[in-house]
This record gives sequence, structure tokens and C-alpha cells, in this order.
Amino acid sequence: MLDYLQNLALANWVRSSPSLFAYSSVLAAHAVGLGIVVGLNTLVALRLLGVAPGIPLTALRQLYGVIWVGFGINLVSGLLLFIAEAHTMATMAAFLVKMLFVVFGMIVAELLKHFYFTDVASVQAGVVTRVGRNLAIISLVCWYIALIAGRLTAYPDMVNGWLHLTGGGS
Amino acid sequence: MQQTALQIYVSSNDWVWALWQIIHFVGMSLVVGIVGTLDLRILGLFKNIPIAAFRPLVPWAVVGFVCNLVTGIFFVAGKLPGPSYYTENLSFRLKMLFVLLAAGNLIIFQLTGLERRVYATAAGGNAPATAKAVAAFSLVAWMLIIFFGRIMQYNDTLLMFLGL
Repeated sequence: MLDYLQNLALANWVRSSPSLFAYSSVLAAHAVGLGIVVGLNTLVALRLLGVAPGIPLTALRQLYGVIWVGFGINLVSGLLLFIAEAHTMATMAAFLVKMLFVVFGMIVAELLKHFYFTDVASVQAGVVTRVGRNLAIISLVCWYIALIAGRLTAYPDMVNGWLHLTGGGS
Repeated sequence: MQQTALQIYVSSNDWVWALWQIIHFVGMSLVVGIVGTLDLRILGLFKNIPIAAFRPLVPWAVVGFVCNLVTGIFFVAGKLPGPSYYTENLSFRLKMLFVLLAAGNLIIFQLTGLERRVYATAAGGNAPATAKAVAAFSLVAWMLIIFFGRIMQYNDTLLMFLGL
């Protein structure tokens, strides 16, 4: 399966094309998407934790449209980056941790969007409940672990050293 | 070439560079998340948010920017073989150009009194058209700052693309 992905013409192009639009631009797009996803989820969490109380809680729900745009950018760019180096990535501890916390982060985002911000009574009253604050903290933890783990995928040897593993990374 | 204490420290402690990188990405997320959302509101999205409500978030964006200024200086000063790795890199120069343009854009926003008028925009209200131009420029500038920041490592690819 990993061989199949890595040998796709598209994977080859991303990995080895000298075009600016191949690996380098895909990586740059991934950083833009990261800024959008982590940045906006941080903004929502800060509001729930009491910063900027003038932002109506009912308005926060609209930000998820932008979060999904960022997530879409990173899903597409992330898949391209993954197939380009499927073997390396699929066996890399930092990458697997990142994936786990991206999934957790998106689940928390969806819980906030569909259950918390639609809990009309408290949200309309502008009151952040304990559930809201806890979800905000969990969201921050998930996104910043994902960010840190993602950045560490650039240092596989260092991470393997910490984990007393050998091999693995490129 | 004579190595500075910082360069020696960085090259013998690989976690240092990784840590600065992590801080640089956290700072980037704060700046983009807060400045970008404010820009989108000025442009007319999320109209039910009074623009002044974003004000308490601005210091968080400033903290993000300062994190990136400090770690950015560390990158330039700590890189081997020397700062020329960055200063002679076209992507780095373009990134710095757009950082300066974004700063100039912000100064115009503040000195012309536009900021005051923008913060007076109530929920449901429209920001002045000139403010929309400033916000659009800010959004594009920050996207390009991230783009060129990430492309620095692939400077040859950029040079080839530009036929240089």
C-alpha cells in the first residue's frame, strides 16, 4: 500500500519535480493552512477562556467555515506530502502523534460547533459554561501538540534518539 | 570562519533549533489567526461582531510577532556557515520585504486615524472602504510572508522558477 502510494506518478511529481509548484509550494500551502486552523481555533479558545468578551459567543460559530477552509488546504497538501514520502512518514513517531491530535482537535472543534455553540440558552446569554472552558483547554492542548509533533517530523533522528529508537526517519 | 558562541551552541544542541522553529510556528499561528480574522471582519465577514471586540486579542498577536522577531533573529545569527545563508536568500529577502510592507500598512492604518474609525464599527456595520483595502493588503502580505518563509529552504527552486 505504501509502495503503491509512493510510486504514483503524482507522488513522484511532488517529491522530485523541480517545479516551484511541487514539494516546496505544497509545503508552503501546508504552513498557511496550519496558521489558519491553529490560529482560529486558538482565537475561539481564547474567547471561551475570557479574552475578548465583547465577541458574541453566537458569532464564533461562523469562524468554523474559515477553519474548514484551512483544514481543506491541509488535508489536500498533507495527502500530497504524505504520498511523496509514504514509507518515511507512516513509520515516523512524530507524524503518527500529529495525526492523532489533529483528529482529536477536529473532533473537539466539531463538538464546539455542533453542540456547544448551538446550546442556545447559555450561549445566547453570553455565559461560558464549564463545559465550554474545558473544551477550549482541550482544543488548545490538541492543536499545540499537533503543531509541535508536526514540526518535529523535520527532525526524525533527534526524535528517535529521545525514544531510544534507531532507524525510522530519513 | 570564526564561529560565534551562539553558532557553536546551536550546532552542538540539535533541540535548540527545533525549539525555536516550534516557537516560530506558534507565533505565526497567533499572528495569522488574530490579524487574519480581524482582516476578514473588516472585509465584511462575521458582521455580527463589533470590530472593537477584537481589541483585547491584539496584544496576543503582538506577543506572537515578538516571538517570531526574536526567534527569527536567532535563526539568522545562529545559522552555520553564517547569516549570509539568509541574507543572500531571495525568499528570505522577499519575506522581509513583505514584513516591512505589512508594518507600513499597519502604520498607515494607525496614523491616518483609520484604526479609530474601524474600531467604531458596530455589530452589523461596514468598515470604511479604505480600511477594506488595508485589510486585503494585510491578508495577502501575511500569506506571502508564510509562503516565502517556508520556501526559503528551496531557494534554488524559486530562482529557477523566476529564471534567475
